[in-house]
Amino acid sequence: MNSAKHFIRLLALLAIAAAAFFIVRSRVVPADFGKLGHFRASAIADAAAREPRHLGSAACAECHSDISGPWSKGKHTVPQCENCHGPGMLHVKVVSEDSVDAYPDPIKKNKNALRPTTGIRECEWCHLKTFERPSILKSITSVGEHITAMGGTFTPTSKCTDCHNPHTTAVK
Amino acid sequence: MTILWTKPEISRREFFEKCAEAGAKTFVFGGLVVTTANLLLAQDPPDARARAEGAPAKGTNVPIYGFVVDTTKCIGCGSCVRACRDENNVPDGFTRTWVEQYTFFPNGEIIVNSPNGGADGFGEDIPNRNMPEELGQLPVRGFFVPKLCNHCINTPCIQVCPVGASYVTKEGVVLIDQERCVGCGYCVQACPFGSRYINPQTNTADKCTWCYHRITKGMLPACVQACPAKARIFGNVSDPNSEISQILANNRVQVLKSYLGTNPRTRYIGLDSEVI
Repeated sequence: MNSAKHFIRLLALLAIAAAAFFIVRSRVVPADFGKLGHFRASAIADAAAREPRHLGSAACAECHSDISGPWSKGKHTVPQCENCHGPGMLHVKVVSEDSVDAYPDPIKKNKNALRPTTGIRECEWCHLKTFERPSILKSITSVGEHITAMGGTFTPTSKCTDCHNPHTTAVK
Repeated sequence: MTILWTKPEISRREFFEKCAEAGAKTFVFGGLVVTTANLLLAQDPPDARARAEGAPAKGTNVPIYGFVVDTTKCIGCGSCVRACRDENNVPDGFTRTWVEQYTFFPNGEIIVNSPNGGADGFGEDIPNRNMPEELGQLPVRGFFVPKLCNHCINTPCIQVCPVGASYVTKEGVVLIDQERCVGCGYCVQACPFGSRYINPQTNTADKCTWCYHRITKGMLPACVQACPAKARIFGNVSDPNSEISQILANNRVQVLKSYLGTNPRTRYIGLDSEVI
């Protein structure tokens, strides 16, 4: 009958192992895991909770009507404000002195929490001629050639915005 | 009973061997039984197929999202890449969406270029762009192809996730649970489109979410809103009157790497056969 002890010990060990498994499992696996599939159901709400950063040009117009007015009547209404100036949410928060600590974004270090514009790089993104670019836009081969062709003098500090209003494309 | 316990008919050595054998058999055949049961029992709900095809799920008003990239309209300005980076805090050196520049030469050579994912734009001063002179010939054909997560219906990335951190929502958007992900990188390897990366800030997998935080609030994804050429169209494909449904109805669309059978929800207009 001594051997029966071995059997009981084995069963006890198994029971402890099973209990440990279920205890650890209940602690490690989130409660809503598997509710909608093989994932944590509340992860969907987490993903949706993040704050949008690009607000759209209509939001910019609320404060900057002096710029958005001429912009909306000009020829440059296809690119939106945030295409060149960067996302507006941080700018709104900085201007209204809300906390921006939650934003580990390099943009917040910049002036007004917007992307600094150069007045030349932003234009080149669309208007520099490359072979692959569909020729639906007015485009130039280089800024220097364009200025020379227009009868100006190209200097290293020349910018597109020296002559063009970037918001309306009107030549100054 | 007593005889069996008091008088072992097998040696100690044989007993342990039998134990090991039984254990191995349980492991192998038990696994087979569980796998078979999973395959037989966990069939897709009846409307899963219809949903996968873009039809609305029965009895619900859940939108099914789709994405169309019109490569014939892309001007390669990189606005989408910059908007995506700013919107989603994408770390330097990584991209959730990127633009590839394809240039074809008369000798059959093709140069594919995507400096910094296209975030700095494309121009004559971009490295590798002086290739025509080296080859002594001028390009004959060229275009831009924006790329992003294809949000496949048959996802290789979700299948390989060992912790259930990758999943698809009822709207058809493939997402990553950042709390659950252990950063093993299996999904990065499994994705045939290179859409995923390990974010060095969080050490978890990351990718395009179609701006799930925006689309659930009724906004457009940041890249779609930023695109000045209307090369990116996003919308509800289960609504036949939506813009994207009209575009899908009136255009010949293609998907990337159709031979892999992942059935992407991101469709392309004007996709060249040379695009990989």
